[in-house]
Amino acid sequence: MTVPTASRKKFSTRWNSFQAREARLAWILILPTAIIVFSLVLFPAAFSVWISFHDVGLNNLNEVFNAPYVGLENYRKVFDDFAFKFQGMQSWGAAVTSIIYSFVATTLTLLIGLLAALLLNRPFRGRGVTRAVFLFPYVAPIVSVAFVWRWILDPRPSGVLNDVLMRLGVIELPQAYLATRGLALLLVIFFEAWRYFPFAMLMILARLQAIDSTLYEAAKVDGASTWQQFIHVTLPELRYVLGAIFLLRLMWTFNKFDDIFLLTGGGFGTKVLPVLTYEFSFKLFDFGRGAATAMILLVILVVFMAFYIGVVMRNPEED
Amino acid sequence: MVAQSNNKESKNFIQHLANWITVPRFIFAAGLIFFLTSILFPFYWMISSSFKTRAEIGAREPVYIPSALRLDAYKELFDPNNPSFQDFATNIFNSMKIAIPTALIAVILSTFGAYAIARLRFKGKNVLLSSILMIYLFPGVLLIIPLFAMLAQIGDSIGFDVQDNLSILVFTYLAQTLPVALYMLTNYFRTIPAEIEQAGLIDGCSRFDVIWRITLPLAIPALVSVAIFTFMIAWNEFLYALIFLNNNDLFTMPIKINTIYNNPSPRPHVVMAASTIMTIPIVLLFLALERFLAEGLTAGGVKG
Repeated sequence: MTVPTASRKKFSTRWNSFQAREARLAWILILPTAIIVFSLVLFPAAFSVWISFHDVGLNNLNEVFNAPYVGLENYRKVFDDFAFKFQGMQSWGAAVTSIIYSFVATTLTLLIGLLAALLLNRPFRGRGVTRAVFLFPYVAPIVSVAFVWRWILDPRPSGVLNDVLMRLGVIELPQAYLATRGLALLLVIFFEAWRYFPFAMLMILARLQAIDSTLYEAAKVDGASTWQQFIHVTLPELRYVLGAIFLLRLMWTFNKFDDIFLLTGGGFGTKVLPVLTYEFSFKLFDFGRGAATAMILLVILVVFMAFYIGVVMRNPEED
Repeated sequence: MVAQSNNKESKNFIQHLANWITVPRFIFAAGLIFFLTSILFPFYWMISSSFKTRAEIGAREPVYIPSALRLDAYKELFDPNNPSFQDFATNIFNSMKIAIPTALIAVILSTFGAYAIARLRFKGKNVLLSSILMIYLFPGVLLIIPLFAMLAQIGDSIGFDVQDNLSILVFTYLAQTLPVALYMLTNYFRTIPAEIEQAGLIDGCSRFDVIWRITLPLAIPALVSVAIFTFMIAWNEFLYALIFLNNNDLFTMPIKINTIYNNPSPRPHVVMAASTIMTIPIVLLFLALERFLAEGLTAGGVKG
């Protein structure tokens, strides 16, 4: 680092040293961002823990800090709620539904993303435009795509899926797909895969294009088929990026509210923890119980992430 | 892709196709067609439904190709003389009033922050950076409860409304977009060689001169892409707007579309027309700037 000579003569105290001035400038530059993020993300996150142990409702929202302490009462209420707890195969409850939904949707997203990336990794005319089109589901506003799919899955005979399946003779009467227990969850999972595969695709594609082509040449010399090349060259090279996408997507899917809320409103066996949190807080206006639900969601997520990063993502060769 | 059918010397098109097609090529073409139809059909359905009449929408069978480009749905959205006028123009403006300031402020603040992180040495940098990136972990529904309670409290003592206040929404969107913007810009600044700036400092420029005249012009592509992503996040956002807005005149587009959808008399063509208006700008942007924006997506430009 260079030190302007004029200022070195003028100031000699530590306060005015170049490093100190640089550090002060850095803090001034980052302060607005830090204040916004701390006051609107990190403080609320901590405050949320506090709310989950207190009885906060619409009546005492204006004097939140005087809300009565109720200990684990909010958590007990959540665990006892029929919408939360597992009650057999007919009614999974939000916790189990959330976990199954996130895992299946993430896996499917990853598989479809891998397929799309393999397709686009081949050179062909119009590849650039095709890649842009493949991004549409991911970048289009959630409200638009959710409502288009609801309109395609419309229960009336004028719904596209009903019409197609009736013409093919698969069904005789129109079905209410998003209002059928089981099917609704499956369709929501398909929707997630349709919407979020482009993210996986882009990450995988970037990694695919960085694979050393001599690896494939060596495999060909050894007489490996296309499938063997995929299993023994491509997949091992993709291992880390697949692991990272799985973690990110799982986290985001687990936290996702909009998609299910807009598609089914959380009905017909698709009630996940974020939707339950919303219902407790903004339908029943029991903010304490809502916060407790959100905390349970966060704890499940953190425990899984710790396990995943510690066990699954660890490289056995490093030990 | 398509066999060259204009080569008429000896074989016809079918023979050419038969020669061209091999098992891998067939699988490849079939895969591509499957992906393209399942991606494009919903978008086609959205746009075509928006040009249908109420009769076509309510028909016994779906109308795959509208009989004409009828503007019934758009008239309902924009024509004040229509019996079920929705005043959608106001909602478009509301969305812009939120998305443009969010994008501008996010770019300015994250430029400052990213410059500090990429170029300057100071204590607590790593702690600060990792706590800012923690936002990736917190679900929106977790933050909305304390935010609502907190802002109601502050609003009560200072005297502003938490509900139906567009500036409050801008602040909450900033909190969501700043970490991503900071991360993307920091990475970009690190690719600009520090020597260029040091040369400027030696020539007697001040820090701000250096940032303003050297670093920023070099970072314009990254600044534009951050602006587009933050604009998009604010433009598409649903949950916070749903909770913070109650007044019809202040609804952003997503909330308005949700309201029209949940109207007791279903009017899918109007919902599709409004969705088309909201979607087209974003989709065109990506079609035009795909090469440039795809990188931002993999850097987490859109969280979710």
